[in-house]
Amino acid sequence: MHDARDAEDALLLEARDHVALLAAYHDVVVQRCLVGTRDESGYDVAQNVFMRLWKELVRGKTYGVPYRVVVHKVVDWTLKQHFTGRPTDVPLPEGWDPVDASDAYAEVEGRDLDSLWADLPEGAREVLDLRYGEGLEIDEVAARLGKTRNAVDQALHRAHDTLRGRIGDA
Amino acid sequence: MPDVAQLFDEWAAALGRGERPDALSFIRRAGAGADELATMMDRYLRARPRTEPDPETVELARAWLEGNAPLVQLRVRRGVTRDAVVDAVLEEFSLGPDRRAVVKRYYHELESGRLDPARLSRQLLDLLTRVLETPAASILAWRPRPLDVAPALRAARSVAADAVFETAARARAPAPDDEEVRALFISER
Repeated sequence: MHDARDAEDALLLEARDHVALLAAYHDVVVQRCLVGTRDESGYDVAQNVFMRLWKELVRGKTYGVPYRVVVHKVVDWTLKQHFTGRPTDVPLPEGWDPVDASDAYAEVEGRDLDSLWADLPEGAREVLDLRYGEGLEIDEVAARLGKTRNAVDQALHRAHDTLRGRIGDA
Repeated sequence: MPDVAQLFDEWAAALGRGERPDALSFIRRAGAGADELATMMDRYLRARPRTEPDPETVELARAWLEGNAPLVQLRVRRGVTRDAVVDAVLEEFSLGPDRRAVVKRYYHELESGRLDPARLSRQLLDLLTRVLETPAASILAWRPRPLDVAPALRAARSVAADAVFETAARARAPAPDDEEVRALFISER
């Protein structure tokens, strides 16, 4: 599921299209920083994440992993520094490497929604795709799949429990 | 206990619609389930493929990278003048025309990044989302990029230098000459 976006990112990196690259990750960085800090300081952390990503891009640094992994690792690193009281408004250290910096690299690298939902029944995955992938309302999901609302509710509930359990195990 | 699964469902569906749901609001609503919800949200964000940015986000990112003020970019993109925003603030909070100058100054400070948007009062933030036709998240998240400070200057900062910086910072900050307006722009929400 990530492959197409990773390929797009590689092209943007090659073209040095920093605007498109940072814009593409803006929402996920802000959301992750807010979820991580659980207060408004998340906006400051997000700003510092973007500063760090931008400085690295300007330096022309290249990575042996998809840019997606770099972004998530910079978020992890910056949040960790934030919570340990270290300054986050400074560039990443020289030689910083997302793989070396990661103790959960494989999780970020390999984890996508397909693998998260792999054990769900086909029907539940369809419900999740429409509900979370497209953001449809429950009634719209039911109409699209030709099911009753109750059937969608039940499928969603079961899928949800499974998803929550799977996520918790990650 | 709040239904964490329900909150996750609402939040993830909003993301799926391309909205910018207020993550903090969802976590606060979770109460005792905040840890569980935050963990679910974070893991989901890691797994979810990034989406294509809308043209406005690209323009805001461009403004940010070029060192311009994203909030100005947002306002100009909507065809709203700074005076129109000031008028809206005066009207919304029943402030007389004699307060126009101070409101304008505070708003200028906000646009130029000298006021922290996270300190805006909820009422003013709500008004700005309506006037600028943008989610609160955009106003809160897009701040002017800090200007680079030469490393030598950082290293050379001393107690005396800090005093100079502090004095300069105080001089830049809006004077607390109108407590009502100040409370709109610098609140403790």
